[in-house]
Amino acid sequence: MVKAVPPWLRVASTLLVALTVLFLLAPLVVVIGVSFSESEFIAFPPKGFSLRWYEGVLTSNTYLASALASLQIAVLVTITATLVGGAAAVALHRGKLPFSRTLAIVFLSPLVLPTIIFAIGMLMFWSRVFGPVSILTLWLSHTVVALPYVIRTTLAVLAESDPFLEEAARTMGAGRLQRLWFVVVPQCVPGLGAGAFFAFNISFDEAVLSLFLRKPDLTTLPVQIYGQLEFSPDPSVAAVSAIMIFLTVLMMVVIDRILGLQRFARS
Amino acid sequence: MRMNDRTENLLLALPGLALLAMAFFLPIGQMLVLSVSGASGLTLEHFSRFLSDPFYLNILWRTVRLSLIITVICVVLGFPYAYIMARVSPRLRMWMVVAVILPLMTSVVVRTFGWMVLLSRNGLISQWARDLGWAERNFQIMHSEAAIVIGMVQVLLPFMALSILGVITRIDTRLEEASRTMGASFMGTLRTVVLPLSMPGIVAGSLLVFTLSASSFITPSLMGGARIQVLAGLVYKSVTQTLEWPFAAAQAVILFVGVLLVLIPYVRVSTPRHG
Repeated sequence: MVKAVPPWLRVASTLLVALTVLFLLAPLVVVIGVSFSESEFIAFPPKGFSLRWYEGVLTSNTYLASALASLQIAVLVTITATLVGGAAAVALHRGKLPFSRTLAIVFLSPLVLPTIIFAIGMLMFWSRVFGPVSILTLWLSHTVVALPYVIRTTLAVLAESDPFLEEAARTMGAGRLQRLWFVVVPQCVPGLGAGAFFAFNISFDEAVLSLFLRKPDLTTLPVQIYGQLEFSPDPSVAAVSAIMIFLTVLMMVVIDRILGLQRFARS
Repeated sequence: MRMNDRTENLLLALPGLALLAMAFFLPIGQMLVLSVSGASGLTLEHFSRFLSDPFYLNILWRTVRLSLIITVICVVLGFPYAYIMARVSPRLRMWMVVAVILPLMTSVVVRTFGWMVLLSRNGLISQWARDLGWAERNFQIMHSEAAIVIGMVQVLLPFMALSILGVITRIDTRLEEASRTMGASFMGTLRTVVLPLSMPGIVAGSLLVFTLSASSFITPSLMGGARIQVLAGLVYKSVTQTLEWPFAAAQAVILFVGVLLVLIPYVRVSTPRHG
């Protein structure tokens, strides 16, 4: 029995995994629990069961306005990040670029640089060059943050593609645009799809850039929640937060269907 | 029109490069410039103001200290979790991956809110501590450094677990079997075979966790309250409340340089010299 694991270790590792999972999921469970509470005050375990806080959120103009702002920005970011990131990924994958290694680092650098440093720079640069921040500022800066994710998912799919397909299309006389559209893009689709959902999720949840670049008439959902948490949270914040969690679960299921979460976890 | 492959690829990369130049590199450049600009040209006054005031130095020290503690806890929790995740059945692995990715994809603000409920005076955990007689009547974990650490570890553990998992799945399991056949115990194999081979993942994860933890302000300022400040929270305050932009820029530069200073020797030390 070479592979045997001592029994005490089996028990210990089961316990460890259970506790870690509990630790990771605890805040989410608490938020969802509070959102269904009947009481005026935030309490966990929740007292009673009601949907009144959801009703309150869905009829509140403040929450609806910020949800709309978040949604608007997230959709814009998803479209631009997918197009721009997908094109960049194709170029990086082919590798026939001047300074291709440097370019790869450049494209992935928003992943490494702390967002706060970029956020403060964006605020200063924008207000000096273009005047007050607007929805455009948030759109562009969220796109920068989402870009590396689209590039990575697309590169992951391209790495498994057949390089000779494009070569074959070329030999058969397909032009550049035809090769891109009929050969390369179809191969990229799963990566682009998963990247698009990541981009949406990142933009929708992003709080650092949105806090630095906020103004009274442009408050995204995470910023709105942050503001409530700083002052007087009531269970309606939990209802909004719970809705965001449900949305995340939905995104995860979709990404899993497109690309497979396991693959994402390993890349 | 004839064009070669290079031109085609450059055209494909161009929109992304333009976007990064406009909305990433120029802004960072602007911040660097602002950090050294005063009323009369170039100056280092913002840096000296920060570095000569014990109040600010204290905040800097707390940021570094907490980030190190958070990184160590993430390694200690993340390594066994990642190892088990890599070695269990695919079905169980799927659920362990979900438990990591679901929080990762949930907004930081939302997760911090969950901890605020759990750790507040009337929260479940503070209550347990009082019921068990471990703490006095007014005890709460909120608004302490411990609260910051708990919240941040939950936020950052997924990054650590995933980067270690990425390396462990590539380790040949036959190496472990060989080690066991030769008489090493399970723990011995873990220590002398798996741990050294996982080092690249542990290093990458630690870099990521340390950087993210030193630069985050949402969880620290909500969990720590107004009294316990960290550097990134200070930057946010200087930008939005006191409106001292050049000073805020200098703080951000100090944060960035500080992160680099810790990371460079760390990479040197922990990069294997062979293989």
